[in-house]
Amino acid sequence: MSEFDAIVVGGGPAGSSSAIKRASSGLNVLLVERSDPPGSKNVSGGILWGKDLSAIVPDWEKNAPLERYITAKGTGFLTTDSMISIDFRSKKLEASKTGYSVLRAKLDQFLANKAKSSGATLVTGVTVDKLAFDGDRVIGVQQDGDTITSDVVILAEGANPRVAIDSGVRKPIDDQDIAIGIKQVIRLPESTINERFNLRGNQGFAGEYVLGFLQGTVKAGAFMYTNKDTISLGIVVNMSGLRENNSTYSFNIMEQFASHPFIQPYIEGGKVEEYSAHLVCEGGINSVPKLSGNGYMIAGDSAGLTFSNGLVIQGMNYAISSGIAAAETAIAAKAKNNYSSDFLSSYDTNLSANYVLKDMNTFRGIENVTWSNLMHKAVPGIAENVLFRMFNETGQPKEHLSSILMDSIRESKYSKSDLIIEAYRALRRL
Amino acid sequence: MKIVVMIKQVPDAEEIFIDPVKFTLNRSQARGIINPSDENALEAALRIKEAVGGEITIISMGPPQAENAIIECMGRGADRGILITDRVFAAADTYATSLTLAAAIKKLGEFDLIFAGESTTDSGTGHVGPGVAEFLGIDQVTYTINTKIEGEMLIGERELEDGIEVVSARPPLLVTVMINANIPRHSSLRKKVDAIRKGIEKWDHDTLSLPPDWVGLKGSPTLVGALKIPEERKRASKIIKLEEIPDLVNELVKNGVISTGGD
Repeated sequence: MSEFDAIVVGGGPAGSSSAIKRASSGLNVLLVERSDPPGSKNVSGGILWGKDLSAIVPDWEKNAPLERYITAKGTGFLTTDSMISIDFRSKKLEASKTGYSVLRAKLDQFLANKAKSSGATLVTGVTVDKLAFDGDRVIGVQQDGDTITSDVVILAEGANPRVAIDSGVRKPIDDQDIAIGIKQVIRLPESTINERFNLRGNQGFAGEYVLGFLQGTVKAGAFMYTNKDTISLGIVVNMSGLRENNSTYSFNIMEQFASHPFIQPYIEGGKVEEYSAHLVCEGGINSVPKLSGNGYMIAGDSAGLTFSNGLVIQGMNYAISSGIAAAETAIAAKAKNNYSSDFLSSYDTNLSANYVLKDMNTFRGIENVTWSNLMHKAVPGIAENVLFRMFNETGQPKEHLSSILMDSIRESKYSKSDLIIEAYRALRRL
Repeated sequence: MKIVVMIKQVPDAEEIFIDPVKFTLNRSQARGIINPSDENALEAALRIKEAVGGEITIISMGPPQAENAIIECMGRGADRGILITDRVFAAADTYATSLTLAAAIKKLGEFDLIFAGESTTDSGTGHVGPGVAEFLGIDQVTYTINTKIEGEMLIGERELEDGIEVVSARPPLLVTVMINANIPRHSSLRKKVDAIRKGIEKWDHDTLSLPPDWVGLKGSPTLVGALKIPEERKRASKIIKLEEIPDLVNELVKNGVISTGGD
């Protein structure tokens, strides 16, 4: 007889959602989170997309600590001198309230406390060492020499799944599947943020950019999100690129982004209140490990369940959705008293049936586009050149757009045929 | 050996700021932590318990959320937790706090050792440990960086300004512990789960039945006059290149900041 019906390792969105769902169904759940309070050790860009929380916290839009709802979405490229971006602002986006900026220190605490008030035992400030096994069956977790038993363990450790790796249920993470995220939270008066981003009330802006000014093979994306009275500003640097370029430091890229001529004015005069860094999953479907086995399931970032195609970057919704799916499987397993790998594989099936794995399968190989030379090295420069020549009045006779484009491609160091092939590949995957 | 450890939940000092308008400490953004030297006090107590056996009771006075700090102490190996919490205890100064804690320890019954951190990070008076000893009428060994039991005696190393004094004292005693005394251990999952199941005891004003004007604000002779932020002094700053160092030295000599020595 196990001490708990389920142990959840990790009190982020995946773990807490899973614990809320399970504890509300009367299961005896232990939720273990190494940070105290929950949310104080993770790093997240901070836009929660979708309405997955409704299934477990019906009143979340009213009571969860949400900062702003996204009414304006920016996406584009930054070169040394220019910003080339789409700024999509829409009453339709506003009406659907599809994305909220959040500060995870607050949101994670809110969700973990929900798990606690739903009946889960919440332990913070303790780091689980490993899974405990009986033969090949997971029977609980090990910590400081003790074994705490449970019928099933859900691993929701985030992007750096140490317990899963150390216990041999997930292979170590490859450079190509991982990036380094750095984030600053910058405090500014609410009214200043509203003026600078052209927002009213709780309207919010979420912008994501390719950093087209980086040297060598280093590739990085960047983000700028508005919270109520802070701005979340950060970068995501591709790990293999960093390894290949020893003289490039991720923190310098962060500084370059923050001091870019068309980013700096947004944050001018603000006070940096947080500076943090973390691993980010960027591997796509090919990096997703076996999601369940004998007595365990893996959810959220630990399982590589994130989505990014350069225009849309999501993670928390996949975490919440997979956490709930794991809970549903655990509840069914409890009813049948069957925690075998066969039975728990219905978790994989559930995820394949909902958007989580569907999205990841649809966009199979998308990581090769988001981190392509085309997107990071060719397009930013060409786009800048075309637009500058189009908008700059020199008193010379004007040219057709097509000939400006051809000139610009010729001036870049990419061959026309290479670009066409890469662009075709990219379009198919987007 | 019956051991009491007194702890306080304090706001994390890194997350406190002074309200620029009201000149009061704004603690609303700060997370609650165990006062740092209280962690050392608990660690010292745990080491004695491990060496000679015994039972450790945590006593804390504070708002209901201080329960977390007590559970954390039990997760590290304390056996029992008591939170003294009541609105009438609020705004107590170190005198009233010492009196209330001493009354609670008296109610607890027999004890051999009381451990306390040397001072707290939120007010830093260092009064409460010695104050409790005075109200209980027992001896005290303060500023310790090491403690052990030899026979019937406690041997304590006291870190003083001009050296380390080793004292031997007979329990019952109150011992205050310095922040550099030891490295506090982490809590374990097993012990923390057990602590959550066991829970803590909450004692209020009725439990202690002290006269109302002995506790809280009424029982506090201290008045805080004002809290001021000293004005930040702007210093001149300049980035000097390697080749400009001779010029810098000349300038510093000229301004009398440094002298060329000699006569």
